Amino acid sequence: MGRQSPPSRTPQIVALGGGGFSMEKSSSVLDDYVLSLTGCERPRVCFLPTASGDADHYIVRFYRRFAPTCDASHVSLFRRDQGTSGVEDDLASHLLAQDLIYVGGGNVVSMLGAWRAYGLDDILRSAWRAGVVLCGPSAGSLCWFAEALSAFHGAPQRVRGLGLLPYSNCVHYDAEPARRHEYHRFVGDGMRPGFAADDGVALHFRGTLLERAVASRPGASAYRVEPAGRAVAEFPLDVTHLATSRSPDTDGASADAAYARRVGVAA
Amino acid sequence: MSHPPTGAETPLARRVIFAMGGGGFTMEPSNPLLDDYVLTLGVERVRASPGGGLHAHEPRILFLPTASGDTNAQINAFHARFADRHCVAEHLSLFRLRDLRRSLAETVLSQDILYVGGGSMRNLLAIWRAHNLDRLLIRAWREGIVLAGISAGAMCWFQGGITRSSGPPEPLAGLGLLAGSLTVHADGEPERLPVWLAAVREGRLPGGWSLDDGVGLLFRGEQMKRVVSSRPGASAQRVDAIAGELVRHRLTPELLGAPVAGGPLATIDDDVRELRAVHRMRRGIAREPGS
Repeated sequence: MGRQSPPSRTPQIVALGGGGFSMEKSSSVLDDYVLSLTGCERPRVCFLPTASGDADHYIVRFYRRFAPTCDASHVSLFRRDQGTSGVEDDLASHLLAQDLIYVGGGNVVSMLGAWRAYGLDDILRSAWRAGVVLCGPSAGSLCWFAEALSAFHGAPQRVRGLGLLPYSNCVHYDAEPARRHEYHRFVGDGMRPGFAADDGVALHFRGTLLERAVASRPGASAYRVEPAGRAVAEFPLDVTHLATSRSPDTDGASADAAYARRVGVAA
Repeated sequence: MSHPPTGAETPLARRVIFAMGGGGFTMEPSNPLLDDYVLTLGVERVRASPGGGLHAHEPRILFLPTASGDTNAQINAFHARFADRHCVAEHLSLFRLRDLRRSLAETVLSQDILYVGGGSMRNLLAIWRAHNLDRLLIRAWREGIVLAGISAGAMCWFQGGITRSSGPPEPLAGLGLLAGSLTVHADGEPERLPVWLAAVREGRLPGGWSLDDGVGLLFRGEQMKRVVSSRPGASAQRVDAIAGELVRHRLTPELLGAPVAGGPLATIDDDVRELRAVHRMRRGIAREPGS
């Protein structure tokens, strides 16, 4: 409370091709990496589960992961009438006071639609400029880019994101064999050059420049994909494999209680 | 099997919207009267369609739980209500489109009934627009597909309604297929009513209807034709602002009766139930919703 962010913080985004607490069980070293960027001992972390439709189980897992070491909160855009949305006061002031905003996976089109209805697109842009670290896997990665390949639909689709990063993005690159082919086809058809990331890879941007690519598992890759004449060229990025540090054994029961207090339900 | 979108427009008078102020499978799990009424509207559409005589298909009903964020609770309640009735029941999740086997347009326009659940009206409209589903729903209405909905799923068809999407009740514009405004849960959430009345008086919303839980309005074209209810004592009113004064007319709903035994709405028997389970499995929709 009342803690002011240093004005000189550089905008940072960590775009996960997949992974983090929602996908990786014991060792979410990618989450540890993101937390380290805040430079805070006990960072304020807010979760936006919009892309999942604010799924309860997702929110519980977030608190389980972050409540023991962070000031954790979440914003639900679906439960605001029931007093269980996590944060009842002004969305902008709450989000701008965070050290890290963690965007969950799900459907990126539904998420961006809901965000715009509450002006969250503008709020997140301001938060980024003010140096609040932004991160997320899957839809929580795609949303920061100018364009994205969304394959959560039957057919792959070109989606316009918030445009904080002037590239295109493709996630879960190794998860489905057709993904690479589709992304190349879209880039060949005029989608702007961009970055593709496997599950377990995090792309760390400072400002709009790629600073580093890190991975939670050996062999996970990420690529720069761009048009080359009539073809499409793919350049592998240097990916640092993060050493597995056992994540603290979190006390599930107390995290559930913390969540219950947040959402105002009986524990 | 599924008939492709025809694109044929129905005359205005055969376009049907059924707007519920509350009730249905999410709010009245032990009272199926409103949901059965929705099915009769679907049966009516099937019978009026070409080839809708002797070999008419069962009405196809698609549930849109968007306003709730596609909660499993709503989806399960929908299937619990309609699985054993004479209809083909499916749901459409805009958060889990991976499950979708056909395009949105094919999915929506091959239905006889589109049933929209309650929740956040603001999120509902914003997410529909992001997927261009708003345009598809308007097309569905023009093609005579029955549009039904409760709460946010009822107000969305009007020029405006009263939403609690951000907490306190406030006016919000809808899709505007129906002239006028609607406010819901007049008995269950009385705090909406004064906000609506003030908005109508001040001209921020057009005049319209206020519905208790359990009350539904049937529109054919833009005309309100029937007021029905699943509960004795539930009521509705029409309110207009005339020269800055509110003019209120109380409407007395017809209490719906139970469906006739052996009629088109009677529960299916065990053989049909088993056959249907097999069909669902083969279509890949037998999975637990939301997995």
